[in-house]
Amino acid sequence: MNPKAGSTWLLAALAVLVTVAAACGSTSTPSATSKGTITVAGFNFPESSILAELYGQELAHGGYTVNYKLLLGTREVISPAIQSGQIDLYPGYAATDLEFYNKGAGEASGDPVATTAKLNTHLQPLGLVALDPSAAVDQNAFAVTKATQSKYNLTKLSDLAPIGNQLVLGAGPECPTRPFCQPGLEKTYGIHFKAFTPLDTDGPLTRAAFKNGSIQVGLVFSSDADLGQLGLVVLQDDKQLENADNVVPILRQAVASSDVKTLLNSIDSKLTTADLVTMNSQVELLHQDADAVARAYLQQHNYFS
Amino acid sequence: MSILANVVQWLTNPTHWQGTDGIPVRLVEHVQLSAESVALGALIALPIGVGLGHFGLFGNVAINISNVGRAIPSFGILVIAFQVFGLGEAPIILALTALAIPPMVTNSYVALREVDPDVKEAARGMGYRPLAQLFHVELPLAVPLIMAGIRTSAVQVVATAALAALIAGGGLGRYIIDGLAQQDYAKEFAGALLVAALALATEVALWGLEQLLVPRGIRLLKTPTSRRAATFKTA
Repeated sequence: MNPKAGSTWLLAALAVLVTVAAACGSTSTPSATSKGTITVAGFNFPESSILAELYGQELAHGGYTVNYKLLLGTREVISPAIQSGQIDLYPGYAATDLEFYNKGAGEASGDPVATTAKLNTHLQPLGLVALDPSAAVDQNAFAVTKATQSKYNLTKLSDLAPIGNQLVLGAGPECPTRPFCQPGLEKTYGIHFKAFTPLDTDGPLTRAAFKNGSIQVGLVFSSDADLGQLGLVVLQDDKQLENADNVVPILRQAVASSDVKTLLNSIDSKLTTADLVTMNSQVELLHQDADAVARAYLQQHNYFS
Repeated sequence: MSILANVVQWLTNPTHWQGTDGIPVRLVEHVQLSAESVALGALIALPIGVGLGHFGLFGNVAINISNVGRAIPSFGILVIAFQVFGLGEAPIILALTALAIPPMVTNSYVALREVDPDVKEAARGMGYRPLAQLFHVELPLAVPLIMAGIRTSAVQVVATAALAALIAGGGLGRYIIDGLAQQDYAKEFAGALLVAALALATEVALWGLEQLLVPRGIRLLKTPTSRRAATFKTA
């Protein structure tokens, strides 16, 4: 066979292969028996992926076609997305979401039911709704290394007030603008840090900064699994700066049928903080995938029977 | 208000020019990162390129390795280096130096190969020893192309140094990353504009440097014939 014809054959085969691959790779259309399509999104940390997978897999088991947009970003990205209908559902946290949608008006409290009710008054005009809050809580927490704790004899956040100007705070770049973060520490506790280092929200940069000593106080999440292992100690929030950050699904009213609500509430009614910590440790320490961890939880608790 | 009006307002706000997050501080950090990377890259790349070009050896190997180097994404190198070295300047310097090396190797190799063989033979005939020939004859002739390579590297490095902010580094990229997290689009856009402006300024500055370094004889060769006789000074 002459070489030119051979290369034409190869080119044609390649073109066919690419077309087939593209066709196979496109998002699946809902099957005839699907009750509808729901797009579930998660924040850019592992726990949110786990929660989104829990909701999504339960909805899929209930007969819906579920699309996932995990690790989408911060609330500043997810909120416009859900308001514009690009996503339908995300696992929120009652107090932080309330303070986000009321633009920091300070309405959140330690009562999850009251906080969620206030949240719904702000969500309703946007076409959104928050369902029943779970018993599982994950809120902002500020941690120090064991060395810092013993050096200044720290147990609670109030202890930081007199020595704040010797310490560097590390958190995500949005911290100086969030009421539960740096402004909250200044207003509620009177802590004025020497400096603020923009890192990530409880991610590898924060842990690396603790390790090399460039920050002394860092933002972590109270349901983190690896704090003990890293030698980090969470300081007690004695003045209740962090309010009821119970897990609560936030979804568009258009997809909030009673069937969807029942499915989602069935997850939240049984989820506990201990469950969150366990699942987080499986993802963060044992490096398992969020969808596998979520599936194991749902099977263990007989959601799929 | 339109996005451009917001950006202009952000840039003209005096508080953004003061303090540890102010534009002057971030500018200095950015220039420092870029200069260190280009200098380190030049230290590695120029001897290799010049040496290979002078002896005419392994040219294809050098250029191909260079091209592969160009294809490796700086973001990827940055994240991998972060896993190895942790926080600090090492990961970003590594990524930027890797970015700076390929253009300089390629350009300096080609520059040395492009020197007219007649000139090299004439130099040998005049009694120049090989090393002297390299420094007094070949390198001055190669300067324009080598400087073009350094310019290309420098502009790419300045534009990419914005990545430093991804691993808690400083520089003008800080405005882009922080603006994204805070959804402050004016800050983000302003940061991008500042990086672009700095890259342009780098290009112009190095072009000026090249004009200073190009030997007088070659510079004169480029002026039009009508003005040449008037400016030429006999030895």
